[in-house]
Amino acid sequence: MLELRLVQGSLLKKVLEAIKELVTDANFDCSATGFSLQAMDSSHVALVALLLRSEGFEHYRCDRNLSMGMNLNNVSKMLKCAGNDDIITLKADDGSDTITFMFESPNQDKIADFEMKLMDIDSEHLGIPEAEYHAIVKMPSTEFARICKDLSSIGDTVVISVTKEGVKFSTRGDIGTANIVCRQNTTVDKPEEATIIEMQEPVSLTFALRYMNSFTKATPLSSTVTISLSSELPVVVEYKIADMGYIRYYLAPKIEDDEDMKPE
Amino acid sequence: MGIKGLTKLLADNAPKAMKEQKFESYFGRKIAIDASMSIYQFLIVVGRTGTETLTNEAGEVTSHLQGMFNRTIRLLEAGIKPVYVFDGQPPDLKKQELAKRYSKREDATKELTTAIEAGDKEGIEKYSKRTVKVTRQHNEDCKRLLRLMGVPVIEAPGEAEAECAALCKNDKVYAVASEDMDSLTFGAPRFLRHLMDPSSRKIPVMEFEVPKVLEELNLTMDQFIDLCILCGCDYCDSIKGIGGQTALKLIRQHGSIETMLDNINKERYPIPEDWPYQEARRLFKEPLVSEEPPELKWAAPDEEGIVTFLVNENGFNNDRVTKAIEKIKAAKNKSSQGRLESFFKPAASVSVPIKRKETQDKVSKETANKKSKTVKGKKR
Repeated sequence: MLELRLVQGSLLKKVLEAIKELVTDANFDCSATGFSLQAMDSSHVALVALLLRSEGFEHYRCDRNLSMGMNLNNVSKMLKCAGNDDIITLKADDGSDTITFMFESPNQDKIADFEMKLMDIDSEHLGIPEAEYHAIVKMPSTEFARICKDLSSIGDTVVISVTKEGVKFSTRGDIGTANIVCRQNTTVDKPEEATIIEMQEPVSLTFALRYMNSFTKATPLSSTVTISLSSELPVVVEYKIADMGYIRYYLAPKIEDDEDMKPE
Repeated sequence: MGIKGLTKLLADNAPKAMKEQKFESYFGRKIAIDASMSIYQFLIVVGRTGTETLTNEAGEVTSHLQGMFNRTIRLLEAGIKPVYVFDGQPPDLKKQELAKRYSKREDATKELTTAIEAGDKEGIEKYSKRTVKVTRQHNEDCKRLLRLMGVPVIEAPGEAEAECAALCKNDKVYAVASEDMDSLTFGAPRFLRHLMDPSSRKIPVMEFEVPKVLEELNLTMDQFIDLCILCGCDYCDSIKGIGGQTALKLIRQHGSIETMLDNINKERYPIPEDWPYQEARRLFKEPLVSEEPPELKWAAPDEEGIVTFLVNENGFNNDRVTKAIEKIKAAKNKSSQGRLESFFKPAASVSVPIKRKETQDKVSKETANKKSKTVKGKKR
C-alpha cells in the first residue's frame, strides 16, 4: 500500500520536466524515508538522482520498499492534467500494475483520478560514494542556465575551470571561442543571488554541453545551483528542492583518448 | 544465411534479450565487424539503379569502396573504433551451402538475361541484385582502403563471424556487428544488428546479449547451439516440419538433439539421410579462429594514399574525398566522452517491484519446467 499526498502539486510537475529530457523510462523507489529515483541516460554518460523526503509530504504512507517502473513522458502527460495549485496524491496497491494520480483543486470542488499502467524496467543502480570535491561553486541557477545556453551556440563542449580568480566556463567552435568568468560575489541584496566558490585545489574538466543544457531544465525548482568538481570524478550539479530534498545530476567528463587512437 | 527465423523466435520467446540502442551510444567502443557481409550489402545497395552500379573508368565496380569509405567514416565520427574481420577458408560443411548459393546465382543470371530481353524493369532490379557476388578483388580493395584509413583489418583463418565472436569473448572488442544471426551461435557475448545500416533508414541498433538469451530461453549454450542447428544453419539441412517454435519445444523437452532423435516420431519428422549435426555443432563450438588474438591499432589516415587510391585509381571526386579525410582527422582529434560506469560501481537496488505477482508466476513456471525435465530424466 502506497499513498503520498503532496500539497504543492506543481513541484511534481517541475520534477518531471527536469528529468524527462534525460531519461525515458525509470523506476521510482519508495521507502519509509522518501520518494526517490536514480536513472541514467541511454548512453550511460549522465545520471539523475532525485530525493523527496517523506517529511515534505502532507501524508506519507509506504509499508515496504517498492519500485515502480514508469515511462516519464507518460507521467508528464498525466501531470499536465493537474492544475498548478492542485494537491496531488499518488496511490498504488500491493501487487497492482497501475498507479493512480489524484488531483484535487485547492477548494476541493473538483477531484480527478488518473490511472497509469506501470512497466517492468531493468534498471542498473549505481552506488555513488560520498566524495570530497576539489571545488564547489554555488551560483544563481538562472545564471548557470544562461551560460550553458550561450556557450552551446558556439561549441559542443564546455571546459569548467576553477582557480583563485573564479570559475571559468569556456568553449570553442567553428565560428570562434567564448570565455565566461564568474567571480566570487557575496555583496548582494538577496542571498540566492550570491556566487560562492570554495576551492581546495584548482580543477579543470571538460563536459558535453548537451547534457548540461538538459540539467538546466531543473532551474524552476531552485533559485541556486551547486556545482561540485574534482579531477577524476563526474561533476555533480545539484538543485535543492526546498524543505524536501534535491535533484542531482552526475556527468562523466570527457577524457583524453587512450593510447591506441593517438596518431603514430 | 545465418539461422533461419532466429530473430523472430527470440523476439517471441526472449524479448528481454534484445534491446534497441541508439547508434550514438556506442561512442568509444571497439566493435568487430563482419566485413564480407558489409561488402555484400554495399554491392547490392550503394549507387545501384537497375543493372547500373558505380564504376571507375575501367568499368570496375566501386560501390563497395564508396560504401566502405562512407560507412566507416560515420562510425569514426560517432567515436566508434571499428575492426573489420574478413572471411578466410570456409569449413567443408559450408561448401554445400555455398554451392547452393552459386546455383541460385546462376539461375538469377539467366532470369536477368530474360528480364533484360523482355525489358521488365522490376525483374532487372530484382535479379541483378541476386547475381551479386563478393570477389577476392572486392575484399582486397576494401582491405587496402581500410588500412589507408588507419582502421585495423583482421583476416580470419576460418569464418569471419567466428573470429569476431572470439575477439568479443576475449574482451578485445565490446561487441560484434553483423546481420548474420550465426554470431550468437558462435557465442559472441554482445551482438549488434543494423549498426552498418545507412543513417537515412533511421533503424535503431538492435543489441543482443547471449547470457540473457540463454537465461530467457532457459537453455544452456550447448542446447542453444542445438536449437540453432534445428532451426536451420549454413552447415547442414534442417528437418522437414521443424521450425523455430517446434525446435525450441523439442530442445526444452529433450535437452539435446541426440535424446530428441531417440524420442521423436521419425515418420512425422523425416531425418535427412546425411545429417552431420554433430559436425555442425563442433564447428559452432570450436570454430577455427586465430590462436593469438591480434593486436588492434587505430592509426592516423594516410591522406596521400587515400587520394591516390580513390581519386586517381577509382575516379572518386577529389573534393569529396578531401572533405571526408578532414572528417576522419577531426574524429580522431576529439577527446572521448567518459562513461559513469568507469567511476561508479553497480549497486543492488533495495526496492522490490510493486508488480510482485508476475515475477512470482514466472518463478513457479520455471520450477515447473525444471520438474518436468527431471521426471523425463528419470524415465530414461
